[in-house]
Amino acid sequence: MDRLLIFLLDSSNAMLVLMLVSLGLAVIFGLMNVINMAHGEFLVLGAYGVLTLQGLGLPFWICLALAPLIVSAIGLAAEELLIRRTYERLLDTILATWGLSLFLRQGLILLYGPGSHAVSPPALGSIPLFGETYPIYRLIVMVISAAAIAATFWLFFRTDIGLQARAVIANRNMAASLGINTRLLDRLTFSLGAGLAGLAGAVMSPLISIDPNAGLGWLVPGFLSILVAGLGTISGPLAGAATVSATDSLASALTSPVWAQLTVFVAAIIVIRFFPQGLLALRRREA
Amino acid sequence: MSRNSLIHIAALALFALLPLMLPHWALTDFAIYFTYAIFAASLSFVWGHVGLLSLGHAVYFGLGAYAMSVVTLGMTPLPATSWLGILLALAAPALAAFALSSFFFASKGLTGAFFGIVTLAVAFIFERIAINSGWLGGMNGLMSVPPVMVFGFELYDPLPLYMVLLAILAATIFTLDRIKLSPFGLSLAAIRENELRAESLGLNARQLKVWAFTISGMIAGLAGALFVAQFGFASPSLIGFSLSAEVLIWVALGGRTSILAAALGAIAVRYLESQLSGSLGAFWPMIAGLLFMLSVLFLPRGLFGEMIYRLTTAPRN
Repeated sequence: MDRLLIFLLDSSNAMLVLMLVSLGLAVIFGLMNVINMAHGEFLVLGAYGVLTLQGLGLPFWICLALAPLIVSAIGLAAEELLIRRTYERLLDTILATWGLSLFLRQGLILLYGPGSHAVSPPALGSIPLFGETYPIYRLIVMVISAAAIAATFWLFFRTDIGLQARAVIANRNMAASLGINTRLLDRLTFSLGAGLAGLAGAVMSPLISIDPNAGLGWLVPGFLSILVAGLGTISGPLAGAATVSATDSLASALTSPVWAQLTVFVAAIIVIRFFPQGLLALRRREA
Repeated sequence: MSRNSLIHIAALALFALLPLMLPHWALTDFAIYFTYAIFAASLSFVWGHVGLLSLGHAVYFGLGAYAMSVVTLGMTPLPATSWLGILLALAAPALAAFALSSFFFASKGLTGAFFGIVTLAVAFIFERIAINSGWLGGMNGLMSVPPVMVFGFELYDPLPLYMVLLAILAATIFTLDRIKLSPFGLSLAAIRENELRAESLGLNARQLKVWAFTISGMIAGLAGALFVAQFGFASPSLIGFSLSAEVLIWVALGGRTSILAAALGAIAVRYLESQLSGSLGAFWPMIAGLLFMLSVLFLPRGLFGEMIYRLTTAPRN
């Protein structure tokens, strides 16, 4: 029973981080109609951000706060220089951001070398939980992820700018003709999405081995999550990430992590194939 | 004769005469570039002509490479000959492409970006299976595959190798161009332009797309087999993400709307890479990524595609 609770705790950890990743992907796609293939690299950049800032001697928590902001700024630059020139051409957004991901990945290899790096975790120790000891940092990862998700929802559903953003998602041309500054929203959305990926990378940095090619391992599950749940909503990716992540944890427990990932991908492809509108479309109310 | 045919003949003549100017050892490199060009041709057919962006096309190249290796090394009950290997390297990817695309396109089916992402996930799956399969040699793959025997001679010397691969590349481009102009190919172009309209004119879009994808998979598999015939190994790096990304760059930079342009793109990028990686080192892939982004923005037809387009389109009066 206690083992089960620990297992559930570990699973929710992975689930919340995947939610952050797919939430970023989904707001970018929903608002800007851009498929961001460089999202995995934004996550990896967040982890490298922590690594670099820590190398400068900054305390971990400051690094954790700054890294997502740096990734946001990189996202903003990418939007300004590249992405905005491909609007209205969905397949070209894939190609352009795909090129961006190759560029960023190779940039990281040049700066940090092809090998993997590790970030030293904050010395927090463990606390006894359900009869076993559990690392405190993992609990903090969950709190930070949940808080960031909640803040994103607050932004979209409780502020004026969020209302405008939802108007653009519902009908971009109508929103623009009502005087909403869609250009500003595009910039904000892309840097918000990049920042969420950067935050996911930054909080996970002490728990993963950081290497330039790690992005793909997050991008594919992130995309499968939003496709499984269905596009066009902000809450969809949460449900999708929960489904994908839960399947992954369960399959890992039963087999091995490698076969679990294969199982999840195959299952997700089958779901996407038979429900192109997503599972949530079976009972959709939200706009 | 049309200007387009003249360009094709000129390109073929150029490459046929190139051995006169190149040092002997460089011919082996070009034979490899031709192999990649065949692979690029297979992608440009589905992407440029049918409008299906396949982000995981290395799956079919890798399947061809593994099929060739497995048969030639005698790991199957079949007789261990290269020719049977090539045959299986055509059949296995074609079958996989047929099965996967039948699944993707059945009933409502996947379109556009969805299709791209799912093909990427498929490449991920195949790469993982290859890495974790002991039978296929895991991370290291299958090594020491003997070269192909032609009339009792090993196909190994640079000049014959160069000429044979040039001939196969030319035949591939010729065949795909003929397919593009056939009624089947024109139907595919109609589907690319407007699938709904093509269907209401009575075309079975699903079936046509599946056949196009099968042809493309088969040609990619041929390229994979030819790769093994030259390098003598098949490894997980041939089946997954990185080669899929590379072929996409070759085709985009060369030009996806013309088979010849895509093939030239592969040759040009690989040639530049070998020339520049010495001086530019690790900067090269970064530059390739940058060029790729720039071509998406400013040269959607690709470099050679734009040249061919300008040369073949008569100026408007």
